[in-house]
Amino acid sequence: MQLLEPLEKDRSNLIKAIQMVQAEKGFISTQAIKEISDHFGIPVVEVEGVLSFYAQFKRSKPGKYKIAVCDGTACHIKGSSRVKNWLVEELKIDDGETTEDGLFSMETVACLGCCSLAPVVSINGKVYGNLNRKKLLKIIKDYKNRGDN
Amino acid sequence: MAKVNLRIDEKEITAEEGQTILEVAEDNGISIPTLCYHEQLSTSTSCFLCMVKDKKTGNYIPSCSSKITDGMDIEATSDDIFEMRKTALNLLLSEHSGDCEAPCTMACPAGIQIEDYLRAARKGDFLEALKIIKERLPLPMSIGRVCPRFCEEDCRRNVIDDQAVNINDVKRFAADLHYEDYLEDLPKLGNKKIAIVGAGPAGYTVAYYLRLKGIKSDLFDMMPKPGGMLRYGIPEYRLPKDVLDTELAHFEKMGGIDVYCNQKLGEDVKLDQLKEDYDAVVLTIGSWCSRSMRTEGEELAVGGIDYLEELGRQGWSGDDPGETIIVGGGNTAMDCARSTVRLTKQDVYVYYRRTEKQMPADQIELIEAQEEAVKFKFLTQPIKLRKENGRLILTCIKMELGEKDASGRRKPIPIEGSEFEVEADTVIAAIGQSTDAPEGVLTNRWGDVDAQDDNYLVEGNLFSAGDCVTGPATVVEAIGAGRETANSVAAFLKGKEYKRDYNINVSRGHWQSLSKDDLVLIKEPVERKRAELEYISDKQRTNSFKETNKTLTEEEVKKEAERCIECSCSYKEDCKLKDYSEEYKAHPEAMVGEKIRFDYDMRHPEIIRDPGKCIKCEACIKVCKEVVNKYLLEFKERGYYTRVGTELEKPLPVDCKDCGECIEVCPVGALDWKEKKR
Amino acid sequence: MIKRIKVGMASCGIAAGASEVKKFLQQNIDDENIEIIEVGCIGHCYAEPLVEVETEKTSIFFDQVEPTEEYLEKILSVDKNSAMTFRDERVSREKLKVTRLAGRIDPVSFDEYIEHGGYQSLEKARKMQPEEIIKEVKTSGLRGRGGGGFPTGLKWSFLAAKEAEKKILICNADEGDPGAFMDRSMMESVPHQVLEGMLIAALATGATELFIYARAEYPLAVKNINKAIDQIYEHKVNVFDDRVIDITVKEGAGAFVCGEETAMIHSLEGNRGNPRFRPPYPTDEGYKGYPTLINNVESFSNVPIVIKEGGKKYAELGTENSKGTKLFALAGDLKYAGLVEVPMGLTIGEVVYDIGGAQRGEVKAVQIGGPSGGCIPAEHFDVPIDYDSLESLGAIMGSGGLIVIGSNRCMVETARYFLEFTTKESCGKCTFCRIGTKRMLETLEKITKGEGSMDDIEFLEDLGPKVIEASLCGLGQTAPNPVLSTLRYFKDEYLAHVKDKHCPALQCNDLVDIFLDQETCIECRQCIKNCPVDAISDDFVVDNDICTRCNTCVEVCPVDAISRVKRGEKNG
Repeated sequence: MQLLEPLEKDRSNLIKAIQMVQAEKGFISTQAIKEISDHFGIPVVEVEGVLSFYAQFKRSKPGKYKIAVCDGTACHIKGSSRVKNWLVEELKIDDGETTEDGLFSMETVACLGCCSLAPVVSINGKVYGNLNRKKLLKIIKDYKNRGDN
Repeated sequence: MAKVNLRIDEKEITAEEGQTILEVAEDNGISIPTLCYHEQLSTSTSCFLCMVKDKKTGNYIPSCSSKITDGMDIEATSDDIFEMRKTALNLLLSEHSGDCEAPCTMACPAGIQIEDYLRAARKGDFLEALKIIKERLPLPMSIGRVCPRFCEEDCRRNVIDDQAVNINDVKRFAADLHYEDYLEDLPKLGNKKIAIVGAGPAGYTVAYYLRLKGIKSDLFDMMPKPGGMLRYGIPEYRLPKDVLDTELAHFEKMGGIDVYCNQKLGEDVKLDQLKEDYDAVVLTIGSWCSRSMRTEGEELAVGGIDYLEELGRQGWSGDDPGETIIVGGGNTAMDCARSTVRLTKQDVYVYYRRTEKQMPADQIELIEAQEEAVKFKFLTQPIKLRKENGRLILTCIKMELGEKDASGRRKPIPIEGSEFEVEADTVIAAIGQSTDAPEGVLTNRWGDVDAQDDNYLVEGNLFSAGDCVTGPATVVEAIGAGRETANSVAAFLKGKEYKRDYNINVSRGHWQSLSKDDLVLIKEPVERKRAELEYISDKQRTNSFKETNKTLTEEEVKKEAERCIECSCSYKEDCKLKDYSEEYKAHPEAMVGEKIRFDYDMRHPEIIRDPGKCIKCEACIKVCKEVVNKYLLEFKERGYYTRVGTELEKPLPVDCKDCGECIEVCPVGALDWKEKKR
Repeated sequence: MIKRIKVGMASCGIAAGASEVKKFLQQNIDDENIEIIEVGCIGHCYAEPLVEVETEKTSIFFDQVEPTEEYLEKILSVDKNSAMTFRDERVSREKLKVTRLAGRIDPVSFDEYIEHGGYQSLEKARKMQPEEIIKEVKTSGLRGRGGGGFPTGLKWSFLAAKEAEKKILICNADEGDPGAFMDRSMMESVPHQVLEGMLIAALATGATELFIYARAEYPLAVKNINKAIDQIYEHKVNVFDDRVIDITVKEGAGAFVCGEETAMIHSLEGNRGNPRFRPPYPTDEGYKGYPTLINNVESFSNVPIVIKEGGKKYAELGTENSKGTKLFALAGDLKYAGLVEVPMGLTIGEVVYDIGGAQRGEVKAVQIGGPSGGCIPAEHFDVPIDYDSLESLGAIMGSGGLIVIGSNRCMVETARYFLEFTTKESCGKCTFCRIGTKRMLETLEKITKGEGSMDDIEFLEDLGPKVIEASLCGLGQTAPNPVLSTLRYFKDEYLAHVKDKHCPALQCNDLVDIFLDQETCIECRQCIKNCPVDAISDDFVVDNDICTRCNTCVEVCPVDAISRVKRGEKNG
């Protein structure tokens, strides 16, 4: 894989390699696993073992807008489970799923580190804090209006 | 190499530096359990069964990974450690899925290894089949005819096509075929001798298994011929007495089992004397007293078991009893009704106070009785019996179902004003039986002999088993108890305390709660309907006491045995989790929680992978990587959802059939050969 | 005369809208003499977005700045009346040493760090013998700030004593505790201070290869620390007399267990992050087999201070066995959430009430140490914060997450939440952690659903200590702490769930109904309009069979006519 060319073929770069592929493609395809395995000269099953250990890595294509619902302690006590439910109701997807139109995917994550703004979600890395239902639905609506562009 | 001094379980030990506590303990005869440690593999430190306590810090440490140090003081055996290991095993059992034992074997009161004998039968090796059966059951010809087939009720074949394997008729065939030319390996007889009072199924079973241990016994029976309930309770058409004679003759052939008939306890033989004359005495006197109807005029009715006994004494013949009403809904009521059908041309009725569905009689008995034109009246309760003009007049009342009672069944309650009268020549009260316990013997609140649950001991050197302990039950239950009693008596004779084996059974559940996808099928089930017995003509059935059905043919039996889907764990003989769980008294239900449903993998021609059994010890992964130098397996996912996976979930390479190292190191059969070993 | 305008642009600031504020200021201030720069976090996260205006003489802060003309004017006029006030309750108790520069300087300006005395400690250390450096650290009494509290100087001496071709130093920046953001803040705000500490440690121990293992969820922290590394390479700060030090940032990939040192090493090597049995300890056999030392961000951030002040001076602050300051990430049910730095020995109450502004009487407990820690009830808030006192209460110092739990929170649910986290994060290697935590979690779920029994409580009390005793690594050894500490201090809440099927805090949804009091109701229909599942009828009755207990109606009701009540208590 061209993307991995600059990366030294040292085993310790394996996670870095998977991260690079995911940053590029959004997820790790079977083909990518094979190519990573080739790059480092390690068995495919070993690559699978490593990538499936870490929560960061996705084996399926995520939505255009990746929503991360923070379930860190502060967010949790400020009602992150409700935030999640609002999204479940609005988007009709559950944790780890992608909407049919491929626009949104959602997952709950451990702390985003913005505890003072709890509850928070991040969408493609941008953090939205001090959420209530109305505010959240407005944010989702804005993304929907942006649509596929 | 430097030497290190340490203590394990108070024992002073000198060992080589660099060794682990586990290695040193083993070298010094201190056994420490482990599921994940293998000498040829790097340590995984996963199972935590090998925990020991560092007495200096009070910490529990895994002995497989902890290197010895000078002055170490280790506790490897103690109540605390036992408890921790037990907890580890309980945890592992709570995520482990499988079936240690087949449900048929679990259901069988005698615990026969049914899958094994079906496998032998399938191959046509009926002598082997009989041998397997007789490890648990000494009366297969009789049981092959009269067993209520608890095994078939729980048979997983039901999941495939709603028809259990016809297990009992395979047994009947094997027994009929080889009974006369089969003889066990018999040890020499010793000088111990026990007395058994009651030569029924329980008594014979005790004698049989004691004989296999070289212990003699004398059987005493009050009836003119031996066999107990088999001869005098079960009618000829179900169990021909010439078959019984053949079966009982075998005991004589074995030597060391002597039977004395017409010996009534309390008259011809005295219990105290027996206790003195013999090393031990076993009471297996059955449960022979008819319970009365507790209604006015009850003395005018014949007791069910008395009625059968009388027919039995007359060689299963008798006078025409005329129009007959049998009161009761159990197997004795069915035996009475069906016997009466064979003696009279007049109507035979069964009156039962609950509904058909609630009848305690076996389903097959009810069906066959109906086929033989026995007439049933349900929700009918007799309240009075009187005699007028030589005929009996039975007053009954109609019942309806009310609230559930203690047995969980809806209780029948009389409908006011619904009394009616019926006439009959004979009324038989087959309400139930009780035990006539000999004087001076401890009894429980039901009047049955009070033997201890775990060792069948009554007191001193007196033991008891069978119906006289449990109340009226099935023959196969009496046999199960008889075998354990023999073990208990044998232990007693050696001066040892008898402890029933502690066996665990992990189960995927009853077939009713399972679908085909829940089963692990090591081969595609054959598509075949259950083989059923051929019956003699209806006319023959109602005219005579001739046996109602014929034994299956050899071809039928072989094919029927193929229907077994072999649902027990293929690895049960080798399973270390099972062995340790039994040693540490762990229990599969001690901790209940989610069990992940993994698909099993049959795609390799010779190897099955069943990840539901896996305990994540990592041994398969390590042996493949470190010893075989392949890298075909690896953990995937993490935490509770960790599993062993293959490359892109593909099947293992075909070449793996020549290696099998992973199967060798697997403690639980998550990897196994498809072909069963036995 | 305004010299500079500093916009707090750490993650918390950005989340509160600091980017918009900065953009607005840039667009609307065209005075070339006014420099607008991004700074990190001063710890007052509740006040974000924060803007500091620096003049020749002084500097003032504006809090909760909006991108509007109004704020622009206040800022440009340096309007002291609109300035943020720093509450004395907090200022008098805080002791800003480690975070002295956080939020005050441009995090990625090498020069500014130098201007503020940066890398002077490193210079001082270069003139010292390695054993002298270690001696100072030992004298300072500095203990690991990552959780365990192992004496830092002692750990260093282990690595220093090793003869090896390579020695490895790892900075643990895998701050995975939910509710903790001390390390993030330090890396975002003063990355050079972390690096300076690491370089001093390298001098002292002879380490040649340095790694920073950072959470992947901290993009800004990773960006800033990478920039800082480039800068020290450029200025050759990493060139020692005898060797050149390599520093590499490695991003984790979402596994809490990788905060455990052997798991972290496996992860750095490119493996699954499974911990392994110790010994051998990493200082004997670590990354790729080389002797390896791991300290966390906060520990390293303390090092320049120790060297600058000298160990003896450093040790003057704190308690007998806990020296210096500690950073806490304050969050939960309190007014002033944020990052605080307090001297060891301050009481929990001072942090919660005085600094955090939580209301006395409205706080039930604090959770210190994240999911590995324990709950400490309000009646013990007079206890000083130090390693030993916290441990005696069943909590741990941990990395410094401090969550205030208000009296309206259910402690069983809180314990369930923490255990759910650790259960998900268990690597799955050992029996007690993999299955034990799962069974405990299932039991807690049963209890919060009102399906629990006394046997279940006994089960937790029995299994919890066993999981602690028989787990390989810190994750399993601490996972039952939140359960056991809540059982210790809040057993009555467990009993209420089990015996009365009642959640006293009315938090557990399965044990709660929503009740609309028609007496109070003004029929504004806000609840009906906002109910996502149409559970409220036109005549203002809540159908609790349809209701998902989402609480929207409770929140939108202007007259508080809707409340959570005990299940089955009202509504029939």
